[in-house]
Amino acid sequence: MVNVDSGLLLDARGLQKSFAGVRALRDVSLEVRPGEVHCVLGQNGAGKSTLIKTLAGVHRPDAGEIVWLGERVEIADPQAAIELGIATMYQELDVVDGLTVAENIFLGHELATGGFTRRSEAAKQTRALMERLGHASISPHAEVGSLSAANKQIVSMARALSHDIRLVIMDEPSAVLDSEEVKNLFGVVRELTSEGIAVVYITHRLEEIRQIGDRITVIKDGRTMASGVALADAPTSELIKLMTGREVASVFPPPVPVPADGEPVLEVEGLSLHGVFSDVSFRVRAGEIVGLAGLVGSGRSEILETVYGARKASSGTVSVSGKRLPRGSVTAAVRAGVGLSPEERKSQGLVLSESIFVNVTLSSMARFARGGWLNERGERAAAREQIEALDLRPSDPDRPASTLSGGNQQKILLARWLVHGAGVLLLDEPTRGVDVGARAEIYALIRRLAAAGNAIVIVSSEIEEVLGLADVVLVVSDGRILATLPAHDIDEHGVLELVMKGTAA
Amino acid sequence: MTTTDIVTVGNRPRLESRPLRKILARPEIGALVAALAVMLFFSVYTSNFMTLSGAGVWLESASTFGIMAVAVALLMIGGEFDLSAGVMTGFTALIVGVLTSHYGLNIWVAVLVSLVAALAVGALNGFLVMRTGLPSFIVTLGTFFVLAGIDLAVTKLITGQVAIQGMTNVPFYDSVQPLFGSSIQIGGGTFYVSVLWWFLATILATWVLLRTRAGNWIFAVGGQLNSSRQVGVPVLKTKVGLFMTTAGAAWLVGMISLFRTSTVQANTGVGQEFIYIICAVVGGCLLTGGFGSAIGAALGALIYGMVFQGITFAQWDTNWLRTFLGAMLLLAVFLNHFVRTRAGGAR
Repeated sequence: MVNVDSGLLLDARGLQKSFAGVRALRDVSLEVRPGEVHCVLGQNGAGKSTLIKTLAGVHRPDAGEIVWLGERVEIADPQAAIELGIATMYQELDVVDGLTVAENIFLGHELATGGFTRRSEAAKQTRALMERLGHASISPHAEVGSLSAANKQIVSMARALSHDIRLVIMDEPSAVLDSEEVKNLFGVVRELTSEGIAVVYITHRLEEIRQIGDRITVIKDGRTMASGVALADAPTSELIKLMTGREVASVFPPPVPVPADGEPVLEVEGLSLHGVFSDVSFRVRAGEIVGLAGLVGSGRSEILETVYGARKASSGTVSVSGKRLPRGSVTAAVRAGVGLSPEERKSQGLVLSESIFVNVTLSSMARFARGGWLNERGERAAAREQIEALDLRPSDPDRPASTLSGGNQQKILLARWLVHGAGVLLLDEPTRGVDVGARAEIYALIRRLAAAGNAIVIVSSEIEEVLGLADVVLVVSDGRILATLPAHDIDEHGVLELVMKGTAA
Repeated sequence: MTTTDIVTVGNRPRLESRPLRKILARPEIGALVAALAVMLFFSVYTSNFMTLSGAGVWLESASTFGIMAVAVALLMIGGEFDLSAGVMTGFTALIVGVLTSHYGLNIWVAVLVSLVAALAVGALNGFLVMRTGLPSFIVTLGTFFVLAGIDLAVTKLITGQVAIQGMTNVPFYDSVQPLFGSSIQIGGGTFYVSVLWWFLATILATWVLLRTRAGNWIFAVGGQLNSSRQVGVPVLKTKVGLFMTTAGAAWLVGMISLFRTSTVQANTGVGQEFIYIICAVVGGCLLTGGFGSAIGAALGALIYGMVFQGITFAQWDTNWLRTFLGAMLLLAVFLNHFVRTRAGGAR
């Protein structure tokens, strides 16, 4: 098939790309062989997405060349990439909810004669594609909006396969999947490679790379740190070092023992939210970190939001320091000293266009107001205090929140509740979108906040994070708490085993 | 898109496998029920609403709004608005009026010039929206006022009046008139050719939406613009085409009003753009794009026509028409929202 001496399918060299003066790609190279799974690893902001979009024809590189099957090519637009045989599955699912499965798959290259779309032919080919992907149960006529995220991804993949392709680029395909679906995805990937189709697999989950990858390219700050290294030869510690530029030893700080007779600050009894979770009970003492471990869709985030009052519980009680909170009232929860740092930091937690100090004092406005006027000097001073305490960078309280990195934005949210004087912190995915290096800092900070007497509940889709940080772990599956254990009594494998069993039962 | 398919989706079999729920989730269902209710009400309440002569009156009234509502529905499904659509009906008619009665241009040529002018404004709307990335609401609000000013100023400047009359004296007027303004008598009722245009427009738009590539693209660009672009949908072509379609429909309605009455006022069409949008929304179009139906919009216009004339038949104060329309719009939006959130399941 490949009539090239090098045997390479794709050879991208010295790619450079800047956006409004910001250099996203400085010097990136990627060599892909037919039929291999080539992983691309890098932290957030390393340039992975820009690289993909350059290959997919969304961006045009400022410099560098792309050689496809031995010939230098210009990929002017997405259509050109598809014509070459490069299909891309983006992280943000690129399907149209209002159209059917078949219509989505043939969108932009509809089967049509004389203006009429050939619907039965499209349905037939869709069925064949779905069978090939092992998802014959997805009907060609189903509206895509009614499908789960995992099935939407299958539709996206089927669309890629509806073209005559030789390379599929998958941008963090596992981000929206639970472990069973990831297994399925890997099956599909192997199917593709056995047909000689190459897969470029972007992820930041190291364990997935181990399972599926043949070779790996590591990118950092828009530069290739390692190109096409056989995975068998690359120890994980080496990869992390390449990715972060530093050695990561133990990222989790040592736990601080909590006095066993400490009074519980947060008490949740039989909390239920109709159709989402039921009979959730737990207690958090001052200085304790309780972690909720479970898969995507298990109800973890909803539990936090219900404790916070953002969702109205259908039954059960939430008490803070012995006082019961009214159901469904964020105001009451905040007044009682409960603070939530939401999963979608940018859309749910921060006013991005506003400065750091405004974001920090947002929940404590009343304290800085005098006769209807805000005391900005006081606000800045309070913010500065927190900036120093949390080592927030940049340290200028007037900088807009949008210019900060993920880790520092997370610190703003923590600072907000510290200024407010919250004693109970609910942290939903505190390290999502936070670089590996900055994570350790966030972990240390959370531990310090606990040691200072705060009661903390964290939710994370990374089980390792929950186990490393929490004192007590609640295993959640399908809206129920399966087990409540001291963190040192269980490992990642044990949690997964519980979840699997619980779901099967 | 068909209502008969039983969909088997692993995650949501409960919602999808019920044919009734699928029918309820169709965009035009609310408008259909409302149209039947309005029809029934006036049939019972007034004596001549449900006669051939009565039907001729309200069908005529619905037809011009229907043609526009269908085009505006396509545009809204594609995720855009066109506030210049109303004034465009007057603009096109004035072009023909001025060119023929004051410059002696052949009327067939004038009609074609008017069409080209309309398509050009539509294309301009489309390019402005797509190239600047500004909301079409703002861009077409601009063209709306520009055109409204031109209509008034140019007509006054050339004719010295704010209307063009006596079109019947223009040579070959009678050769064009049947196409847009003729009517036939059926059992005492007068049925205008515009009703036929309305039906044609609805059938054509429905076919385009459900059975052609362009239809897929319209749903796609209105639903998920970026995704559409990434998978190779010709986004610019689709959107500009939609604005030109709306302008083309406005030209048709302009011709219909010109050749039915043989006069045109300089302010024709001003204020009607919102009625088109109301008809489309009552017919199930979402303001956010990606969802809607041409048949629904046609039904929305039918409701408008029936209410408009029904109020006259019932000898009520016609000043209440707008209040009724506004209430109906709110009701339709609430209903659509309710059905959509139910059909889509909990978010």
